[in-house]
Amino acid sequence: MTAAPPTDGLALATRGLHKRYGSRVALAGLDLSVPSGVVYGFLGPNGAGKTTTMRLLTGLIHPDAGSIEVLGRPFGRRDRHRLFEVGAIIEAPAFYPYLSGRENLRALAATGAPTPRSRIEELLELVGLRDRAGDRVSGYSLGMKQRLGIAAALLSDPRLLLLDEPANGLDPAGIVAMRDTLRHLASRGKTVFISSHILAEIQQLADQAGIIASGRLVREGSIQALLASQGLVRVRVAAEEAGRAAAILEAFAGPGSVSASPGDDGWLTVRVDHGRAAAANRALAEAGIYASALESGNDLESIFLQLTGGEPSPGGEGTFTRMPDVDGPGPTAPGSGA
Amino acid sequence: MRLFGSGLRKLVRRPATWLTLGLLIGLLGLILVAVGATANDRRADPDGGNALLLLTFPLAYGFVLGFILGLGGLFAVIYGAAVAGSEWGWGTLKNAVARGESRSRYVVATFAGVALLTGIGLLVAFAAGVALAVVGANLAGVSTAGLDDAATLRTLPENLARGWLAIAEEGAIGFAIATIARSQLAGIGAGIAFFFGEQFAGIFLPDIVKYLPFDAATAMVAGGLPGSFGDGGGGSSLDAGAALAVVVAWLVGSIVVAALFTERAEISG
Repeated sequence: MTAAPPTDGLALATRGLHKRYGSRVALAGLDLSVPSGVVYGFLGPNGAGKTTTMRLLTGLIHPDAGSIEVLGRPFGRRDRHRLFEVGAIIEAPAFYPYLSGRENLRALAATGAPTPRSRIEELLELVGLRDRAGDRVSGYSLGMKQRLGIAAALLSDPRLLLLDEPANGLDPAGIVAMRDTLRHLASRGKTVFISSHILAEIQQLADQAGIIASGRLVREGSIQALLASQGLVRVRVAAEEAGRAAAILEAFAGPGSVSASPGDDGWLTVRVDHGRAAAANRALAEAGIYASALESGNDLESIFLQLTGGEPSPGGEGTFTRMPDVDGPGPTAPGSGA
Repeated sequence: MRLFGSGLRKLVRRPATWLTLGLLIGLLGLILVAVGATANDRRADPDGGNALLLLTFPLAYGFVLGFILGLGGLFAVIYGAAVAGSEWGWGTLKNAVARGESRSRYVVATFAGVALLTGIGLLVAFAAGVALAVVGANLAGVSTAGLDDAATLRTLPENLARGWLAIAEEGAIGFAIATIARSQLAGIGAGIAFFFGEQFAGIFLPDIVKYLPFDAATAMVAGGLPGSFGDGGGGSSLDAGAALAVVVAWLVGSIVVAALFTERAEISG
């Protein structure tokens, strides 16, 4: 049995986290290590245990075994005060439908850590809801509720933000504004933990990522390291030289290691360690073929599908699908001043 | 205190609060004004004259309070269940817990708001009921000379206080049921079933049912005012003193159960 990794310098850590719902295992020894001051993408297929993890991290449910550390200190049943420094959206943001957006934030501010009233107006401005703050939440679109949820999560100026699908329902401008806001928060030393299905969003936004499948962490690390770890390099040569280049690269990297893109545009994908990319380029140059582009051939989606098998975990809710990221007649974007 | 204040503001803004109060006063007014408006027909009817007693003070005080405590008790169960159940259904309890709020403190503060508002609602409905009884009496041409009956007015504060306790206890029952059901609709349904089920069971098991919440609440206030509903002190009901103790036990017990259940619950909705 290996010793649990140290948790020094981590904003969030779980060790051996187990959770069952009846006979169904939701988490089977989850070890997360989320460094301080980063945006951390938490990825996994439906039913992999993401929401269960989020609920455990916010004290809504309690683990059967294992431990949680929040901001460097143990977090258990009796440590609810630790959540004073945590902001969260768990699943869909929840509000009193008959109250206005502003009244909902005031009601929420009366719970947990004391929050000055001026903070509410600041946050309504930040998420672009100031003009609609007096309207009942029951009349809000999904995107507006999501923005109000982000404002609610930021109420106590938390050091750690736990966001479950924060881009859900936001229009494109809203997604960009949210991304800027979260990056800004991370630059101020806050830690942002995002559970999401939108892999491209995580690839753009996150510094670190953890991929969970069947209640276990299957990969964790920096986005760059994750992308590099799969050993795919894309090379672009002149289209008429693609056949010869493929043969040279196959001789270099091994049989079956090269595939051409279907567009006949000269792009070749080589299964080779990123450290050997320069050597592959040299092999082409020595044969008189000069690459016009050389880049990593990985994206988070391919890694995700490879690690999770592209299949839902046992007991999951269905196949992994990309969530819609555009809401219909959404309001103006956060920060647009509307 | 800020949690209690916030809970109170939420309830004041909630349409169900005004709907419940409006419905109670509306029904009470309908009866009183209808009796007043049809007084001449009733005088012609040998038995109809009894109905005019509803508009005759000081008996009218007892009728108004009895009506509020009877129908209002059922409304209190529904209202308590709606408030507690919606915290689970809307996910707003989840928000508070995720912000580090104490679960039991949140439950107690939320119920304290319900209890205070039901008390205010009782006073408002009683005042409106008395005013409507005066209107009905004028329509019927019944004298309102008993309006300032000193003996009745002396006992009024105590009876209103007991009435408040009874309504609060009935609200607490609905509140606890909906908390355990984690659902507004299920809580309201179960609360109503309990309310009528207890009355039905009272026919067969009076010695047991007298210790149950609604019967004890009725026994605690019945007979306090002339003209009030209920058998108060008759048959198998508890005497007012014993009923008071039983009502307090049910009230405190319900809130303790709701708080403990919430404290232990896995919030997964």
